[in-house]
Amino acid sequence: MKKLKGLKIDFVSSSILDRKTKQKRINFILNKVKNGSILITDGVLNYAEEMDLIKETMRKVDNGFPGIEVCGLKKPTKGLNSMVERFTDQKEKIQNFFSALRGRKIEKTSLRNGLTLIGPAKVIREIKKNPNSFSVLTEV
Amino acid sequence: MFNRLFDWLLGLFGARRQIKLGVYGATNVGKTTLANRISLDWAGEKVGKTSVIPHETRFVQKKERVEIKLNRKKILINLLDMPGIATKVDYRAFRKHGLSRKSAKKRAREATDGVVEAIKWLDNVDTVLAVMDSTQNPLNQINITLLGNLEARKIPVIIVANKIDLKKAKPKAIREAFPQHPIIGVSALKGKNMDELYDAIGKYSRRAG
Repeated sequence: MKKLKGLKIDFVSSSILDRKTKQKRINFILNKVKNGSILITDGVLNYAEEMDLIKETMRKVDNGFPGIEVCGLKKPTKGLNSMVERFTDQKEKIQNFFSALRGRKIEKTSLRNGLTLIGPAKVIREIKKNPNSFSVLTEV
Repeated sequence: MFNRLFDWLLGLFGARRQIKLGVYGATNVGKTTLANRISLDWAGEKVGKTSVIPHETRFVQKKERVEIKLNRKKILINLLDMPGIATKVDYRAFRKHGLSRKSAKKRAREATDGVVEAIKWLDNVDTVLAVMDSTQNPLNQINITLLGNLEARKIPVIIVANKIDLKKAKPKAIREAFPQHPIIGVSALKGKNMDELYDAIGKYSRRAG
């Protein structure tokens, strides 16, 4: 049977990524993207994690994998939701601090509300972003 | 808290403050041109070479003890010109600029190391000049991630809307995209509006801890 050529898009629930530690989450994303998939999830990484994703991507760049394109739309948080988010940030920092004290190097952070697309730079030609939307141009 | 008090007391007596000033941004936005302009204005020499080929700066370039004189105070800065942050580095893109395959691959390897190095340096800078190209859409993921990280780390940031001398420049778009940060429109190449930037460095910088 002839193998079909095309664009593979993986829609991954944020609950799957939420269960993983930071390093495992980044590895999961990069493995999918390195295999040519575009990954879409119903959450956004926090900024520190996004920077770690860029760092890790750079370590994996080779002749066949020039890197990634990433775009996130964070749900704007106001009032009580914003306070809850800040509280979650602090709670995670404290939990990770005590894990480190106990000699465990487990960093757990939960995804924030929103939408993220991460794909191989070889496939995604351009992402145009506006404050509340983005469009993606790909090569098939 | 103590640092801030100490900083304030030093400022009262017009004493010198020393800060590690990082010049960050995506590739080809004019980071080295800006670092060169600052260094030329106050130290009389350039920091590094500029080029239209992306990732010309692949190592952190430093110019130490640059003294900026403002109206009422002097600031000592260690100027750190960072490699451009990118999510992709493709050696084939360098080939289009006439580089041999070998040179392009070497440049790509060094560029990826440079990005990692620039990110690591975020732990060590006191103040950041986030350089953006006024002719481009500022809402790219590099700018958003960089600013988000600086906010989370509570590192003071001044957005430098560069290339305002160009016809296509829209510094207003940068103001609209990031209204929560101080934004200074400059042309690093032509030296336009640099005094306003130096005043902002004096106003928003944090002293080295």
